[in-house]
Amino acid sequence: MDEKSLYLKTKRKKVAVIAIMAAAVVVLAFICWFVGSSGMSLNEGLKALFGRGTVNNMRIIWNIRLPRVLAALIAGAGLSVSGLIMQTALNNSMASPSTLGVSNAAVFGANLSIIAFAGGFLSTGNNVNSYTVGANPYATSTMAFLFAVLSILLILGLCRIRTFSPNVVVLAGIAMGSVWTAGTTILQFYATDVGLSAAVIWNFGDLGRATYRTDLIMFAVVALGSLYFMLMSWRYNALLSGDATAKTLGINVGRLRFFSLLIASMITAVCVSFLGVIGFVGIICPHIVKKLMGQDHRYATPASMLSGSLLLLLADTLSRSIGSGSALPVGAITTLLGAPFFVSIIFSKRGASNAEG
Amino acid sequence: MLKVENLTFRYGRRSAPVLQGVNMELKAGEVGILLGKNGSGKTTLFKNILGICSPSGGRILFDGEQLLRIPLKKRAGKIAYVPQDVQFGALSVFDSVLLSRISRFGLAAGREDYEVVERVLADMQLLQYAARSVEKLSGGERQKVAIARALSQEPRLIIFDEPTGNLDIANEQLITEEARRLARERNIGILSSLHDLNQALSFGDRFFFMKDGVIKYSGGEEQFTEAVINDIFDSKVRIIEHEGEKIILGGNR
Repeated sequence: MDEKSLYLKTKRKKVAVIAIMAAAVVVLAFICWFVGSSGMSLNEGLKALFGRGTVNNMRIIWNIRLPRVLAALIAGAGLSVSGLIMQTALNNSMASPSTLGVSNAAVFGANLSIIAFAGGFLSTGNNVNSYTVGANPYATSTMAFLFAVLSILLILGLCRIRTFSPNVVVLAGIAMGSVWTAGTTILQFYATDVGLSAAVIWNFGDLGRATYRTDLIMFAVVALGSLYFMLMSWRYNALLSGDATAKTLGINVGRLRFFSLLIASMITAVCVSFLGVIGFVGIICPHIVKKLMGQDHRYATPASMLSGSLLLLLADTLSRSIGSGSALPVGAITTLLGAPFFVSIIFSKRGASNAEG
Repeated sequence: MLKVENLTFRYGRRSAPVLQGVNMELKAGEVGILLGKNGSGKTTLFKNILGICSPSGGRILFDGEQLLRIPLKKRAGKIAYVPQDVQFGALSVFDSVLLSRISRFGLAAGREDYEVVERVLADMQLLQYAARSVEKLSGGERQKVAIARALSQEPRLIIFDEPTGNLDIANEQLITEEARRLARERNIGILSSLHDLNQALSFGDRFFFMKDGVIKYSGGEEQFTEAVINDIFDSKVRIIEHEGEKIILGGNR
């Protein structure tokens, strides 16, 4: 076989892997729909699916589990692809979806809303009665989102004035993140016991907060962002050769970097604001994909999305199943599931040979 | 084709100028060689011509047009660059070279792009690596991929920064000959920096000797005299003639 057909064959193989991953996501999503802590049998679940189950089961299947499964699919894909793009755009393998301080800012916003405004603008000061449901159920998410966006704009604005070198962006992000964390610490110091626990519980990522409406908003942002990322695949490939070479290939590096960081951070901001902090998906998944499939963004982008969905789906289903009634924080499960796999990939022979040079 | 007029450049407002009024001219179809000590400003001059750095003063003209006013995308069709430290991501050799066509194809490569890349890879004897990841190649092979990439960009001018640094003698010859052939056949200009003076003599048509941010001497082979080289490199060399060819020897023996 000559080398050109070999090249075409590796391309087809990558497409096949992506197709298999997509199929796996669909199958797994379907299975996870029928797994949970309610003790519902598959038979009962299927009945409920077609509208012939008990009222309780139908509520669990349609109103509790489905929005949650969808949230896992969407947020997993969004966080993972954001991580990939941040790593490429900043030429830094340690970059994550929250490198611009997005998560810390969202946490600060949410904490401010919960601790200072009792979650729903009902009253100022700590109000014991209204930590979870306020006048506006989206108040906490809105505050989280506003602060996340503020953080993004501050950093991108600063960098736009001075320099857009990747290292400066990363360092500015770390500094900005610490400022938000310090603010959160001070808020929590003044919080009452109830306020503090409500705030801490918000910080644990939880897909159970998802509703159809939040899913739809997340879907719109993730879908549009991913579309942009996919269209820019070749440009990201060019960026892998360094800024100077990319420029001589005709890429407007500054503009590409600005929009990539902005969009990736917006995706993260939306997901974190609705669901809380879900760490590590955006680091683990893109790295596994890059180790196994290479860095060609035409394939790495969809593969990262699918692997993110898979991981978050699995983690959420586990968290719902092993918590005996109350779901464990999904962020912890993601890390517990992903980290060993991640480590095994980086230390595996295949990973090592790819990392050479 | 390329004309640099009184070009000055400094990295920061308060730092000392690296380029202090560079003048040079290169015609289409010519191989120009830039010679000078480390730190004399060769790479900085290249970066200015490529538009990676913007000059502090002076002009760069390409076919009479001010180079920096030409949009990035169009400029990529005119000038290609082979940097000193070649860097790729984990892409296949074929895709790495295909990348050079991005300013032409934009979002997705077409049939013509594939054909050009295949032809260039065949010319460069790289076709047998097409499916391999660039990261798994040796330094010299990677250098060749970088050069293949510049060629398939189909520019009017190619700038090489130390192109033969990582190459063995066979590949060195392959590349210098390929570059010369391109210059002649397609009327492409080549501008390259080199350290090996004998190689420079056999590769180049026109020579630019750079010292302290200016081009001190320029011209054809006749410029290669002991006096010029000793001045430029602050060293002692001897030039001997063998069958009508100049050979440059280092050291005092």
